[in-house]
Amino acid sequence: MTTLTFFLLAALLLLALGLAGLITRRTLVGMLISVELMLNGAGLSIVAACQSVPAADSALGQLAALFVMGLAAAEATLILAMILVAHRRFGKVTVRDVSILR
Amino acid sequence: MQQETSSIIQTVLDYVASPIRALQEWLSEYLPGDEWAAYLAFAFYVILILSGGLGAILSRNLIRAMLGLVLTFLGVAGMYLLLASPFLAFMQLLIYVGAICVLIFFAVMLTRNTDGGEESRLPSLGSLFYGLLAFLAPLAVAGPLIVMYAGKVQVETPQTVPSGKLGAGLLSSYVLPFELISIILLVAMAGAVYLAFRGYSPKRSGDDQ
Repeated sequence: MTTLTFFLLAALLLLALGLAGLITRRTLVGMLISVELMLNGAGLSIVAACQSVPAADSALGQLAALFVMGLAAAEATLILAMILVAHRRFGKVTVRDVSILR
Repeated sequence: MQQETSSIIQTVLDYVASPIRALQEWLSEYLPGDEWAAYLAFAFYVILILSGGLGAILSRNLIRAMLGLVLTFLGVAGMYLLLASPFLAFMQLLIYVGAICVLIFFAVMLTRNTDGGEESRLPSLGSLFYGLLAFLAPLAVAGPLIVMYAGKVQVETPQTVPSGKLGAGLLSSYVLPFELISIILLVAMAGAVYLAFRGYSPKRSGDDQ
């Protein structure tokens, strides 16, 4: 058990929490919150691995986590617009109501 | 008189700090050297992440879920500080807490999905079962792998990368991903504006079709 193990287990905990939320949430907004949890876990595991292992380039790890954050921001923006469109069209944002493929 | 007051204050401070001292002594027996403070901070951040994450996925009120998400972001920012990357911790606070939480707040408010909304009922028993399964599956699959293999890796103490080196990396070796992420952000925002304004044009009144 090294410190890397602890950090990776914390990132795994974030992934598990996000996945459980993705299944149990009923609305699109709740699912967006769960996806943000999982993306946080991804960034944490990247930084932990690159900062702890001597062979890894730690600047690369931090920049990769920064790119993950940028992707999360882009994803949140787009999903906000999609939620608005779904709300305008269906009046609700529950997953069951917007499952029409048309 | 002055002396008495200061000694009383000293006694009170000793009394208040005594549990922390006892915890420190107890921890220093089990942990090597003076690393106990790092372990204590790590435990604190894990508690932040766990409680915030549970609130984010279990709360029946989406605003409370968002506040749980903020707690989780703070815990992850603390972990970045423990990993000696203060720049990332700052960016975590700036991007996640500052931008993404505001977006989620807008999404909750614009869909009028707060108290008494769709999330206020408990999920059905079947979806709770699948949720528990989805919580346990990653832990059962990747947990043993992490404990087995990450324990064998030779680990060094994390060193702070100067932010000048990060900036030089962004503009030299990793300039292509940097430009790509700018294009992705631009396209995402243009798409968001297009989607949000599509139904509002005066010629196309009503449904967006």
